[in-house]
Amino acid sequence: MKLCFVTVGATASFNLLIQAILEQSFLRELRAHGYTNLLIQYGKDGKSLFDEFLQQYPPGSEGHHGLVIDGFDFNSDGLDHEMRLAKAWPSEGRLGGLIISHAGSGSIMDALRLGVPLMVVPNPTLKDNHQQELADILQEQGYLISSHYQEIASSLDRAERLRAQMAQWPPVSRAQEVPPPSLEQVMSDELGFLD
Amino acid sequence: MSSILNWPNLLWALVLAGAVCIFAAFLLLHALIQSHITKVPKWRSRYSSVHLLVVLGSGGHTAEMFSMLRRVKLDPTRYTHRTYVVSSGDNFSAKKAVEFERTYLTQKDESSATAKGQLSPTGSFSIVTVPRARRVHQSYLTAPFSTLGSFWSCLLVLRGLHPDQKHIPPQPSHSRYPDIILTNGPATAVCVILAARLLRLWHALHVAVGLGSHSGSDTTLSSDFKLRTIFVESWARVTTLSLSGKLLLPFADRFLVQWPELAGRKAWRGMRQAEYVGTLVD
Repeated sequence: MKLCFVTVGATASFNLLIQAILEQSFLRELRAHGYTNLLIQYGKDGKSLFDEFLQQYPPGSEGHHGLVIDGFDFNSDGLDHEMRLAKAWPSEGRLGGLIISHAGSGSIMDALRLGVPLMVVPNPTLKDNHQQELADILQEQGYLISSHYQEIASSLDRAERLRAQMAQWPPVSRAQEVPPPSLEQVMSDELGFLD
Repeated sequence: MSSILNWPNLLWALVLAGAVCIFAAFLLLHALIQSHITKVPKWRSRYSSVHLLVVLGSGGHTAEMFSMLRRVKLDPTRYTHRTYVVSSGDNFSAKKAVEFERTYLTQKDESSATAKGQLSPTGSFSIVTVPRARRVHQSYLTAPFSTLGSFWSCLLVLRGLHPDQKHIPPQPSHSRYPDIILTNGPATAVCVILAARLLRLWHALHVAVGLGSHSGSDTTLSSDFKLRTIFVESWARVTTLSLSGKLLLPFADRFLVQWPELAGRKAWRGMRQAEYVGTLVD
């Protein structure tokens, strides 16, 4: 089993991403990269898109490209369980998969903590889009790959390359002459603790 | 025609009032700058207990906050009381706070097991809900009033008088005023930090006028350095400060940023700079 988990988060809807995920070209590409399962957290507005897809291509039909495709709106207990399904687990026959996420900081942290390759797709419809900046700098530092929602199929190759060499998370601060204070140190200073 | 309400007098009154206002504004500014360049002296004994107040926000802010608290291995035997401030309707944050307390802090307790006759070495916590300054889709006409309501609620929280705090038994070990306030930038943080500064100003004025001097120890150093505020800019902010960050830059005692490009930002000349501390989340 090799699973791709897609999440759009809880706050905003991101139907452009759901649409792109359910494109035939993406599903074909996913299959070509050895994936067997696709699990989609489509958010509160994404259900109609997902149901539409199932109507057009019933399970087992050609349109699924041999993938097991599941979806759900949201899990209020968090998405840790679903994300773990994309983590390699040899004893259960699970190969390392992929997480495709909106660029919200909460989801990014969760995925990086698990050490599963992560592709983030910034939502272009959000106002004040600082998510793009975070995605860009984390890609530059080798933690994840960032992709436009229309280019996710062609970004799967990059995701496989990321799997081969992912930067270590959490970041270890480089040795500096004057190391920055830790949060603990700052809190302690402000409280005026005697050393 | 001998009324004192003639134009020249009114003009003079206006000029006088203006002068007083400018003087007061100057004094406040001076006090703000002073507080920014004054370092906290080392006065607190190592074993004294601390009341920590954490302002939580929607989704990402809350996830980042608990990520940071886990990473610093928050010590419940030092931070003996934790207050979590959440906005009304934000069940996610309240749930995360309980989860953090139940799973992370109690586990820590079992491993350290240093209870010296204390009933609960992990201390206590409370979750208080404050109304939002402005709900989504709320009219801008009514927003000032709801903002005031939110601000008032924050003042109550900081003074330990909020209804959600009633169940906490009064403890001699820590005061109801939080010793330290930690936030990473949701809208509520603006209210909480401004409320903290107002209380500190009030306290300072009290002391200056000499009203508070009778209560002995309460007016010594210790109470001058309560309600310290630490603002951590969100990890998601790489090149620009958030609106909360811009507003709070002159008011937070410490302003930490997690990306190098934001280092050195300051409100104006002479004020403390934003400090780059690297990635605090995990």
